[in-house]
Amino acid sequence: MADLRINLAGIKSPNPFWLASAPPTNSGYQVQRAFEAGWGGAVWKTLGDPILNVTSRFAAIHFNGRRVAGFNNIELITDRPLDVNLKEIYETKKKFPNHAVIASLMVEPKQEKWHEIVKRVEDVGVDGLELNFGCPHGMAERGMGSASGQVPALVEKQTYWVKEVAKTPVIVKLTPNITDITATAEAAANGGADAISMINTINSLMGVDLDTWNTIPHVAGKGAHGGYCGPAVKPIALNMVAECARHPNINVPISGIGGISNWQDAVEFMLMGATGVQVCTAAMHHGFRIVEDMIEGLDHYLDSKGIAAVSDIIGKSVPKYSDWGDLDLNYNIVARINTEVCINCNKCHIACEDTSHQCIERLTDGSGKSYLKVREEDCVGCNLCSIVCPVEGAIDMIEVPRELAPMTWNERQAALNAAVECQADVTK
Amino acid sequence: MSEYQQFLAERDQIDFLIQKGFQISQVKEHLDGATVEFVHPKENITETLLIGNANARKYFSSLLIKQKQRRNG
Repeated sequence: MADLRINLAGIKSPNPFWLASAPPTNSGYQVQRAFEAGWGGAVWKTLGDPILNVTSRFAAIHFNGRRVAGFNNIELITDRPLDVNLKEIYETKKKFPNHAVIASLMVEPKQEKWHEIVKRVEDVGVDGLELNFGCPHGMAERGMGSASGQVPALVEKQTYWVKEVAKTPVIVKLTPNITDITATAEAAANGGADAISMINTINSLMGVDLDTWNTIPHVAGKGAHGGYCGPAVKPIALNMVAECARHPNINVPISGIGGISNWQDAVEFMLMGATGVQVCTAAMHHGFRIVEDMIEGLDHYLDSKGIAAVSDIIGKSVPKYSDWGDLDLNYNIVARINTEVCINCNKCHIACEDTSHQCIERLTDGSGKSYLKVREEDCVGCNLCSIVCPVEGAIDMIEVPRELAPMTWNERQAALNAAVECQADVTK
Repeated sequence: MSEYQQFLAERDQIDFLIQKGFQISQVKEHLDGATVEFVHPKENITETLLIGNANARKYFSSLLIKQKQRRNG
């Protein structure tokens, strides 16, 4: 069995699977049950001045038969007094000394507020702190959560205040509701963060009821934007993790969050630079025991690759993630239809004919049977046909033997600029 | 004319000049593609091609890089 232990900025856990700060980590009862199921760590539901919640807090998008493709919530941070949470954290840590218990914190952007909560929380033996600069609803209207997290100077200052008194590692949790997450990630690092985590939820309105014209969800006929998460946000989160991982000025470990639903997702985040992952929606959908499959799947994957420790995969795909201008313009793939497997549904032909490059032809063979064929010379290798194809293996995207040496856009522009007296056309 | 046919036609025009000894001397990019100026180093003749096809624009760019590499030894 591979070594699944991780060490994120000094916070150790038996495996990379943590529960994210959210409803699943609201109480000691839940976190202890999660640890019994196998979770390696838990980020306690955000502590702060206890809030008041509304009912009708969650909503989900079900897409084409898949339940909970996306999930939305308007629940706020803990509504329980701090001393109640701290007592349960203490008990949990005592029962599970080798599991990671991280306290998520959110207070007003005032130095004394941060100092007070950090001291009280660390006194009960947490392994680390996570500063919630990401929650996009409710708390943001009061200047906390993502309202703080969208301003790099506030991220840096508040991180610095926490670091003034913190004795345990400080993770800064970032909001995706910003143009460039590396700006706030860098601010967190400059403020002294030991690690960063991302992403918190994305501003969202799940829908509008066509009969009542109420928002979904609604609270007595009124709605407010919530935070979107679940499988639908994974590509957004993965990109943000990768952008931070490859940024030269962001040199702190990353805890990956956002739509992670299985071990494969976890591996992707770790390959893209995450030291470990946090999960919420999948646990809310399927229960704590999904971690059993995650641990087993990860272990088998590592064994099958001959990798001794999960930490060996951290960041291995980061060098493969670059800018568009560094991609090879002379690399070519084309679609090839496997007529033995194709069911002649015509979806690829329609997709290509209507919305791509009109290179799939419907032909008839000698016996009068119709078949689909790609005119490879006109195929631009967009992948659309293979994406819409409902049959696995019916369309392969094949690499075309190289005719020209690799050339990126940046290399091309450098060559054009260097060409004798190359003149820019100011009118373009 | 298909995109591929257009590519072949424009590539042939480029190849014709290159085979006659011309070299790419200047490229001007604009809304209609690229105007590529070729100069014959010995005969001091200039020829100009308007290259619109995307693959043909990749093609002359690759030739330009190759030409630059040759020049730099």
